[in-house]
Amino acid sequence: MLDLHRRDALPRSGGALSRGALERLADVRRLVSAAGRVYADRARLAPAIARSTGLTPEGVELGFASLEREATDTELEALVARAGHAERVHVILSANVFVAPLRALAVARAAAPRVTVRPSPRDPALTRALVEATGEDAVALAEDRDVAAIDAGELHVYGSDETIATIRADVGPGVVVRGHGSGLGLAVVSGGADVESAAEAIAGDVVAFDQRGCLSPRVVLVEGDEGRGAALARTLHDRLAAWSRRVPRGALTDDERVDAVRWRGALAFAGSLWSGPDHEVALAPRAAPLAIPPAGRHVLVSMVPRLDGVAPAIAAVARFVVAVGTDDVARVSAFVPPHARLSALGRMQRPPLDGPVDRRAV
Amino acid sequence: MTSAAAVSDALHARVRAMIGAFERAAPMPESFDGLAVDLARFQARHVAGYARLCGARGVEVERMARASDAPAVPTDAFKLARVFAFDDAQAAVTFHTSGTTLGARGAHAMRRVTTYDAAALAFGRAMLAGDLEAPVSILVIGPSEQEAPDSSLGHMCSLFARALAPAEPAERTFFVRGGALDVEGLRARVADLPPRRPVVVLATSFALVHLLDALGGDVLPLPPRSRVMQTGGFKGRSREIAADLLRRAVASAFAVDERAVVGEYGMTELSSQFWESTLVDDRRPHGIYLEPPWARVVPVDGETLRAVLPGEVGIARIEDLANVDSAFAILTQDRVRRRDGGFELLGRAPGAPPRGCSISIDEMLSRAPGAP
Repeated sequence: MLDLHRRDALPRSGGALSRGALERLADVRRLVSAAGRVYADRARLAPAIARSTGLTPEGVELGFASLEREATDTELEALVARAGHAERVHVILSANVFVAPLRALAVARAAAPRVTVRPSPRDPALTRALVEATGEDAVALAEDRDVAAIDAGELHVYGSDETIATIRADVGPGVVVRGHGSGLGLAVVSGGADVESAAEAIAGDVVAFDQRGCLSPRVVLVEGDEGRGAALARTLHDRLAAWSRRVPRGALTDDERVDAVRWRGALAFAGSLWSGPDHEVALAPRAAPLAIPPAGRHVLVSMVPRLDGVAPAIAAVARFVVAVGTDDVARVSAFVPPHARLSALGRMQRPPLDGPVDRRAV
Repeated sequence: MTSAAAVSDALHARVRAMIGAFERAAPMPESFDGLAVDLARFQARHVAGYARLCGARGVEVERMARASDAPAVPTDAFKLARVFAFDDAQAAVTFHTSGTTLGARGAHAMRRVTTYDAAALAFGRAMLAGDLEAPVSILVIGPSEQEAPDSSLGHMCSLFARALAPAEPAERTFFVRGGALDVEGLRARVADLPPRRPVVVLATSFALVHLLDALGGDVLPLPPRSRVMQTGGFKGRSREIAADLLRRAVASAFAVDERAVVGEYGMTELSSQFWESTLVDDRRPHGIYLEPPWARVVPVDGETLRAVLPGEVGIARIEDLANVDSAFAILTQDRVRRRDGGFELLGRAPGAPPRGCSISIDEMLSRAPGAP
């Protein structure tokens, strides 16, 4: 799928990797192999993950499909080349989807010969399983890691901006903090796209992790008029309903339900709403600002007359956009933030393992 | 067939009759619920979005019997669509929210501003200056209506200045010009005040913080029986100070009693305001806001949207009969609790904390330009 990432100009220097880089590459390959073993053992892990994430068992199984068990040499070389170098990397996982620890460890492993990881206290199962499956002293759990006690190396933090800022303030001056914040996914459907297939692909991207990942589209921009927007919204509603029969949504928290009620009320007033038992799709009024829906299978469909309307439509949220899925990568690439990962619709949850998901400056 | 304008005019007249009765201390001419239901039906007929909201909530407009039967319009809707029963051309005034969070400003159009003015003045006068014999001097630590024509707060302050104080040039009443606080102008004006005429200072919390910072501990002593209205949060426009500390500092800066520093709670999406009552009731503490008889604040559960039990914290559903041509019931994001015949303001409801790396609305808002 690398051809979908127009910004994946790999930073290779004449094709030859240094000895250190080759060692890191081998380290990452072993980690990816370990992920394969964890995947094979997923039935054992699934109940704990379902409890911690709120996903249904079907949702956990679907989420496991996004665990990167395979990666091409080109992708891994890019990962290593981008990773930089550190003697040691400490990974702090705070808010992430449950498969994210693999990429976080891969990025750390690509940078350093020794890695420690503090799993998300809420969702430690996959991290523990990965470290165990790796079976290497060089990758270790540090569940009680006191951030303030870290005085050297790099700290890779995956969480909200607030968490990152707090940790940045706590660490010693000799520590380089690389923050990977939360973000937003969106989909762009060109005027030439088939509505049925676009909706099916987008639905798959939405359902994964119950839309709690930064790769999950929460907004769909449709090139065309209101009729086309309504057709996409209606079809997406149908597809999400079909998905929910196969992969029911897990439980939302009280706060998530409150956010959903509020968003639903505003969009019922201002636009059109298609409601299912496990999802909502809203069609925004033309030219209205984007009312970003809460996670939990809520999607806002908004129209742009032409694709060059995408940039102004998302201007207010552009810096939060981490991922864009589209049927027309070549045309859409000009109108979305340069840091955003661009992929085909239906592939948003599976970016190549070539670096952090979030490419914004860290 | 009666035109929408004629129905609207009749509804405005009924609301103003309630306001007039309040001013005369007379019994209300009709029930809150009766007028509320008529307003909700009118709005469902003439505000397309409200009809859709009623449909989405499964509410049959003709079967409404009480105010609480009418769905409340989330304030976000004011940023996304017109919340107005008429064409834009018929708007006498359109107020806009101050924030531009995520590229959106809320708009509240009014076909008749007279009802807004009557409501604001009647309750504002009662709560802020009911014990004073006119005239007073008005000092606004904010821009004039001419400088901020789309600000409902600016409109209200100008209204108070016109109604409560002798005519003065704008530069002797408004002390934010071109976005800058005119501290020296304010000092000169205070030095020149009639010594026995009480002063009413009208200001936002963040403007007061800027003023305190600019005064650097200096005191601008106001004449006896003067008072200060403070309203609004900080919205990232100044450093934040706890309400009690700000009140104490403001009282010191103007040499007035702390009980003479009165909080006002209003929103662009409303036509009525709510006030602390420390000036009119010696027993009431700060932090309890009272409603006028034509408005109610009901704490509701954020998910079911039903009223919570007495004493419990809920989201503020505000029913404002003076919102004739827009939305009589709105759903805010402010947490409130009923107490002592009024309500406490407990801050904005935080959104759901993220359970993955998908960014929350709150985090986006906190990182918007101008956010703290």
